[in-house]
Amino acid sequence: MTDATYTGSGSRTWRRLRRNPMVTIALGVLILIALAAIFAPWLTSFDPYETALRQRLKPPSAEHLLGTDSQGRDLLTRLLYGARTTLLIGCAGTAFGALLGGAIGLCAAFYRRLDGVFMRVIDVFLSFPSILFGLSLAAILGPGLDSLIIAVGLSVMPGIARISRGAALSVMAQDYMDSGRSIGLPDRSLLGRYLLANAYPPILTYTTLAFGDAVLLAATLGFLGLGLQPPTAELGSIAAEGRSFLFIAPHVSTAASILIFVIVLSFNLLGDALRDAGDRRAS
Amino acid sequence: MIARLLRRAGISLIVLAGVLLIGFLMLQVIPADPAVAIAGPQGTDDEIEAIRRHLGLDQPILLQFVWYISRVVTGDMGQSVINNASVSAELLRAAGPTIELMCAAMIWAVPTALALGILAALRRGGIVDRLVMAVSVMGVSVPVFWVGLLMIQFAARTRAFPIQGRGGPLWTAEGLSHILLPATALGLILVGPVARMTRTTLSDALHADHVRTARAKGASELRVVLNHALRTALLPIITLVGLQVGTLMGGAVVTETIFSWPGVGRLAVGSIITGDYPMAQGAIIFLASAFILVNITVDVLNELADPRIGSRS
Amino acid sequence: MSLSRTSSLARLAGSVALAAITAAGAAQAEGTVTIGRTSDADRYDPQRSSALAAAEVLYMMGDTLVTLSHDLKTVEPALAESWELSDDGLTYTFHLRKDVTYCDGKAFTAKDVVGSMERWLTPEGPYVSAWKAGTVDSVTAPDDYTVVYKLKSPSSGLLYQMAQFNFIIIDPEQAASLGDDFGVKAFNGTGAYCFESWTPNDSLVLKKHEGYAWGTAALGNTGPAKLDEVVWKIIPEEATLVASLQAGEIDGTYALPAWAFAQFEADPGFKLIQPVASFRTHYVGMKVTRPFMQDIKVREAVSHAIDQGAIADAIFFGTVKPAEAYYSEDALDFDPSTDLAPFAYDPDKTKALLEEEGFTMGSDGFWQKDGEKLALTYYGFNTSREQAEAIQGDLRKAGIDLNVELYDSTAIWAKLREQTYDLYQMDYPYLNAGDALNLYFSSDSIPSPNRMMWDDAETDKLLAEGNSAVNDEARAKAFMALGKHLHESILWKPLLLEKPTVAIGPRLKEFQPAGISGAAFGTGLNLELN
Repeated sequence: MTDATYTGSGSRTWRRLRRNPMVTIALGVLILIALAAIFAPWLTSFDPYETALRQRLKPPSAEHLLGTDSQGRDLLTRLLYGARTTLLIGCAGTAFGALLGGAIGLCAAFYRRLDGVFMRVIDVFLSFPSILFGLSLAAILGPGLDSLIIAVGLSVMPGIARISRGAALSVMAQDYMDSGRSIGLPDRSLLGRYLLANAYPPILTYTTLAFGDAVLLAATLGFLGLGLQPPTAELGSIAAEGRSFLFIAPHVSTAASILIFVIVLSFNLLGDALRDAGDRRAS
Repeated sequence: MIARLLRRAGISLIVLAGVLLIGFLMLQVIPADPAVAIAGPQGTDDEIEAIRRHLGLDQPILLQFVWYISRVVTGDMGQSVINNASVSAELLRAAGPTIELMCAAMIWAVPTALALGILAALRRGGIVDRLVMAVSVMGVSVPVFWVGLLMIQFAARTRAFPIQGRGGPLWTAEGLSHILLPATALGLILVGPVARMTRTTLSDALHADHVRTARAKGASELRVVLNHALRTALLPIITLVGLQVGTLMGGAVVTETIFSWPGVGRLAVGSIITGDYPMAQGAIIFLASAFILVNITVDVLNELADPRIGSRS
Repeated sequence: MSLSRTSSLARLAGSVALAAITAAGAAQAEGTVTIGRTSDADRYDPQRSSALAAAEVLYMMGDTLVTLSHDLKTVEPALAESWELSDDGLTYTFHLRKDVTYCDGKAFTAKDVVGSMERWLTPEGPYVSAWKAGTVDSVTAPDDYTVVYKLKSPSSGLLYQMAQFNFIIIDPEQAASLGDDFGVKAFNGTGAYCFESWTPNDSLVLKKHEGYAWGTAALGNTGPAKLDEVVWKIIPEEATLVASLQAGEIDGTYALPAWAFAQFEADPGFKLIQPVASFRTHYVGMKVTRPFMQDIKVREAVSHAIDQGAIADAIFFGTVKPAEAYYSEDALDFDPSTDLAPFAYDPDKTKALLEEEGFTMGSDGFWQKDGEKLALTYYGFNTSREQAEAIQGDLRKAGIDLNVELYDSTAIWAKLREQTYDLYQMDYPYLNAGDALNLYFSSDSIPSPNRMMWDDAETDKLLAEGNSAVNDEARAKAFMALGKHLHESILWKPLLLEKPTVAIGPRLKEFQPAGISGAAFGTGLNLELN
């Protein structure tokens, strides 16, 4: 992971971002998908939970734009509702991981005594490949929305903790932190107004990238069989359910996988652009 | 330097102990009861009690943990509660194929990524550069399972390569044909980050002072790239590859499942799902330890290659 | 610079591809057959394992005293060449063959039978399915080739049960010396094939048992086996299993997923074969102690709401038949006059029955009574997700809210012991009506496998009558009456009647699959290369 080479000028970053066409496209796609997911009930006339077994696995047609899934439900509808769930897991999980990891990293940098302990604990978490971590947690807490969110959050947390600690350390090296202390500001406001306000950009960048990983992890856990119970729609589970029919009705897995890919790609492009924009080495 | 390395090793040991603790605790809470699983669908309560006693599952948790630690130290990781196989023996047997798979993935992916990154760095800002960056970001975004399944479809239709299992050691024709598809699928997730890192560090290095000096002194472009720029860029790349081993392991879990590759990843997934906790613990600890080991190795390589790094830490 | 790198890469890729193509062709050695399946057993010990995966291999490695004809209606000799039953139905005397040897060369005698039974029936456990042996008083060997099997009460189904894999005669000395490694590291049996090696979750290798000559004549080849080696290979992904069969990497399987049947039926190089008789019924069990399930009319309403025909046609692609009875109508001792109307798909009846019981339709589309929504909980296997979703969808259309929870096959047995659900998914193999009735409906079997919590004096009485019957007529009378009574009580919703289907590739000759315990390859004596 690149370390924080942040210099502190937010406006320059914004200008660079707006100039990048990739950002516009990625952001546009994400907003489109998010809106479609939120307004799903109004966009489609099909019920995502009404089964019609004898209409299962039909290819795309005029009536069903993307065909039907393994229970005869309209696939487009299922994907829209599935995007809702997947985005929810990604958002909530990453938010949870970012808050936790950000806090840990900032505190580790601020309270030097805690640094060693915190970082060792983070190292332990980092030693687990995120998949196995997610797998174990999902197996213990049982299948369900909460366990997926926590599993995703915990696997994202260590990386964010490292980044926020790095960012915080470089901010701490600046003069204004010492001057803030010398005038007697309480820790809380030092942490909030000075540290967080100045250290957030790399945290934000990494979080955006982490979002992509979070969605991918959720989908993979669903594929490996630890997803949500029926009839909840979730993109990874839909891809998994379609994998049994890869040879006779590939449209189910393919459509779900492509949607996952587009969402993750958009987040990664956005994150990359953020990183490049904030990087002082880019001219 | 030795002192630094020893301290690093000491810290890694603490991390490993933490991994052991978390691994043990996590798996105590799993809802699956192996005694019920063994008794089967028609098992009566008496049968199950007898099996529990037989497996020693009725002892208090603290006692089980103490026994576990004392045995791990001597290399005994227990027996699978499902079929009584020795966990350490199974892990050793599965370790080879996993290492083989990861190496095979790296053998083709790293040189390819280096090549792409070099190409992009040399033609910075051009079409090639943008293409390489696009491909690498797509590589990171695509779900590994989808790639694997697409490969199976392709292989099944063309009957070109075997799609499951391991055919033998890497240096035999049979072994090579079996490892081809899984290694390709797994390697794809490596190409993106490495290509991108190569391109970034190399293009920086190409514009660095000492390289400009070499050019000014009249060295050919080829010499400049190979001797000066590449050498500077190599270090962060080694670090990155070391870090990617964690991602590779994660990808290996999915790849091994899809292609029935007999490695530790498949062992881990299977044992977690079936509630075989000694085996699951062993597999997770093995993977975590391997990752820690790789980290240390990368640190050592860094130290040896560039002693300046130590003073910067 | 990059040019030379690319061309050498290209050359490498080319030679690798060539090697791979030639290697993929030479997949199998002569005389070796590879059978693929999706799951492995915990161990290969007839008395400690209940898994089908274990049965599949055990039938090849060992023999039972008796076996059954292809239609499962006649008892045939195996290790025992003849037998007598005392008039009171309590004492069986078996006369054993004298020409049987184990894989390690040692001679098979009556002591081995006694040792196997003692190991299985010891009260210290860990034993499984011991009830199949009946209420045993003693098993003795008056001489080397005679076994006297004494019961405390008659067991009309005993001889049929003895064909099951739990009764496979082991090497008691080996079991004693290997302890927990028995059936894991080694297995010395009298079967047509010998255990060679086992890599758990990967493959198990069997080698031909030279000199085997005691196969049952009524079932075909009496021995020795016609193959040198049989490899049982584990391929956990169904799609991969199908592709392996297609590519010739495996020669046969019976774990073929239903969606793949059509492609192999259409392909002349492959055959799909089924045993003459082999029963497995899939059903939804109902826990009659739960609040809504206590009412027999509600149970009938639930039964009418589920469309088992659609499940059979759509989810199983027509490869299994919809079921309307707890066990097959072709099974021994099924009463043809049983009323099966309650088990038909009839959503209008659901509505009528619920209204009769005082339910009203709520504004959310679900039935309710006294302010409580008709909501039920269903536990199922995570491998049968589609079936669970279909049932959930059917019940939702009928106005019943179903909460579905799916569990892995190892975790589910613990969950099923809880009292927290109303409906559950299950399927089971059986030889005849008596087998099925004994397994599930006795009050002694509460809470498992009698998960319905059915506690009925009439049931226990008829069961005892049927079991202690000393002739076929008395047994049939009791079991038929019992079957009728249980169907009237609406304890299950039958879904599907399944026969295992074996898919074989071009290397194997067509053969008659076996029907016992669902292990379709049977003893492997009829397997032959083309």
